[in-house]
Amino acid sequence: MSERYGFSLTTFSPSGKLVQIEYALNAVAAGAPSVGIKATNGVVLATEKKQKSTLNDDRSISKIEPITSNVGMVYSGMGPDYRLLVKYARKLGQQYIQMYDDSIPTVQLVRRVADVMQEYTQSGGVRPFGVSLLIAGWDVDENVPYLYQCDPSGAYFAWKATAIGKNHINGKTFLEKRYSEKLELEDAIHTAILTLKESFEGQMNEENIEIGVCNKDGFRKLTPSEVKDYLATI
Amino acid sequence: MLALATRNEDELLKETRAITENATIPSGISSIAIPPYSDPKEFLAQYNKPDSAVSIKFNRGTTTLAFKYQGGVIVAVDSRATGGAYIASQTVKKVIEINPYLLGTMAGGAADCQFWERVLSKHCRIYELRNKERISVAGASKILANMVYSYKNMGLSMGTMIAGWDKRGPGLYYVGDDGTRVTNNIFSVGSGSTYAYGVLDSEYKWDLNDTEAYELGRRAIYHATHRDAMSGGMVRIYHMKSTGWVKISEEDVTDLYYRYKAQEAVAAQ
Amino acid sequence: MSIMSYNGGTVVAMAGKECVAIASDKRFGIQYSTVSMDYPKVFEMGPHLFLGLAGLATDVQTVSQRLKFRLNLYELQENRHIKPKTFSSMVSNLLYERRFGPYFIEPIIAGLDPKTHEPFISVMDLIGQPCISTDFAVIGTANEQLYGMCETLWQPNLEPNDLFETISQALMNAFDRDAYSGWGAVVYIIEKDKVTVKELKTRMD
Repeated sequence: MSERYGFSLTTFSPSGKLVQIEYALNAVAAGAPSVGIKATNGVVLATEKKQKSTLNDDRSISKIEPITSNVGMVYSGMGPDYRLLVKYARKLGQQYIQMYDDSIPTVQLVRRVADVMQEYTQSGGVRPFGVSLLIAGWDVDENVPYLYQCDPSGAYFAWKATAIGKNHINGKTFLEKRYSEKLELEDAIHTAILTLKESFEGQMNEENIEIGVCNKDGFRKLTPSEVKDYLATI
Repeated sequence: MLALATRNEDELLKETRAITENATIPSGISSIAIPPYSDPKEFLAQYNKPDSAVSIKFNRGTTTLAFKYQGGVIVAVDSRATGGAYIASQTVKKVIEINPYLLGTMAGGAADCQFWERVLSKHCRIYELRNKERISVAGASKILANMVYSYKNMGLSMGTMIAGWDKRGPGLYYVGDDGTRVTNNIFSVGSGSTYAYGVLDSEYKWDLNDTEAYELGRRAIYHATHRDAMSGGMVRIYHMKSTGWVKISEEDVTDLYYRYKAQEAVAAQ
Repeated sequence: MSIMSYNGGTVVAMAGKECVAIASDKRFGIQYSTVSMDYPKVFEMGPHLFLGLAGLATDVQTVSQRLKFRLNLYELQENRHIKPKTFSSMVSNLLYERRFGPYFIEPIIAGLDPKTHEPFISVMDLIGQPCISTDFAVIGTANEQLYGMCETLWQPNLEPNDLFETISQALMNAFDRDAYSGWGAVVYIIEKDKVTVKELKTRMD
């Protein structure tokens, strides 16, 4: 009976832990790595997209998703859970625009998504999300970029640069060494690719990584050919 | 229209003849056209409902008052004319000078009051010529009451006070559009009358001197204009004496407000 | 008798050069009867943001309080002052939530953008159809008179002092032809670094 507290309902262990959440974090740590770096003039998100089989159609998988015109998001962990969060996040973004006739500030979107994730730790009949999110946004009012991480517990943090998923410890160590306050977006994209490359098994190409950037013009995913160009310069 | 189209010609003729035979038609004008429908009050009322597509708005809001006292009769009125919430005029003359010994006040339909009091003026003059003496206030007011009575239920709208001086001394009568005619020491008529009564009843004494009486009339109208949205403009005061009426004052309510406010401030110190 | 004119009252807002003004009368009545003469209809919603409400007094209070509630939540959550445009949208949504049982009020929003200090004026019907205006906005029982006054008196780029004079004359001359408005008036002139509040000496009938 090593799994005494493994009920489907999130319940405190006698030592004060929520083991369900720890399991969720384990699921995240086992997931494909994702990287986010904030530069002076934008943010980059990058993630590994490796297929189990060469028979998979690459086009069917998209891990980096736009949420509003100026916010995008990526995850490490369980794909299907992420899909639900993307749906929530987009809806929350639109609800804000409907109510205030204004694009949602990144932090507001992050908080609202984090609230959803928190709710799944305290509700009956559900389990916490098996994903951590990296949310990149451009704040239209303040004219500055933002990078947030959002965990299954509902906790969220603002980062200059971070890595989640498999090998995230190494990824962060790498970023700590490479990060500079004066980093520009182009350099940040390179650094993000290099960070992924640290733990990448096999040959990296435009088919097995995804990159998204966010700057004053909004959020967009790089096309495979753009990714290919970046990879060529490394 | 409605009634005309459906009614039989003879029936209409019989009915109008019956009305005209009883009515006091003011001479000088050929006749007052009898409304071509059976119940004028109800017919007109449909155009007075706020949701009616066609709406006739009469001037109804007013404050008028008159009271008898030791020194004669005081007549005080406001000067606002409204059509719905719209203020059509702030300078209306609501005291009608019938002759040097008779005053009438105007409340309700402006046209009705003005027209019938002019007719009354004519009757009073004829009386004077025939009898070589002035008509009594009782007599004059009764002529008016009889005239409007003959048009009862045809939609006349007037609440008037007839003030005068005759052999019996000061006279004051209220004549309503339904033919009511009553005499008393104090009257106030119009939408602001309740406010005016409030001031009048608490301060009125028979023994008031002239200045006190003017001030009472002034304050009563002033307070009515302050609280009643349909009253305002100016306060006009007339004094009916044994020698006939005298116009005492015409003051803008705004001047009165700031004057009374200053007086209150001084009194409070 | 419309429920919108049961209590009477009127509000006007005007844009000037790097400033806006909003003003209201102070009457609270029950039909013909004037009950109170100290009942302004302009509410301060922020350092550069004002809301004017005309219509049924009970709804004026409810709407102003519910908006203040939502605004406080917004400003706590977002840790910043709301933009007039954003607030306008908030008002519009609050009113449309009662599409089939509306509050009997019409709002005017006047303010300066907290960052750019650009003047902003908007006006809505009772179910929240917004109309952003670059010159002036009028609501209340004297709205027809106010349109006439504003069309003739308003001109672009008025300095704060001239704007005060213009809005005051527009308001006073308008409600002097309306039985349900008047009995005092209050004017707010909103500038980048200060807000001036002035009480007007008016007719009291």
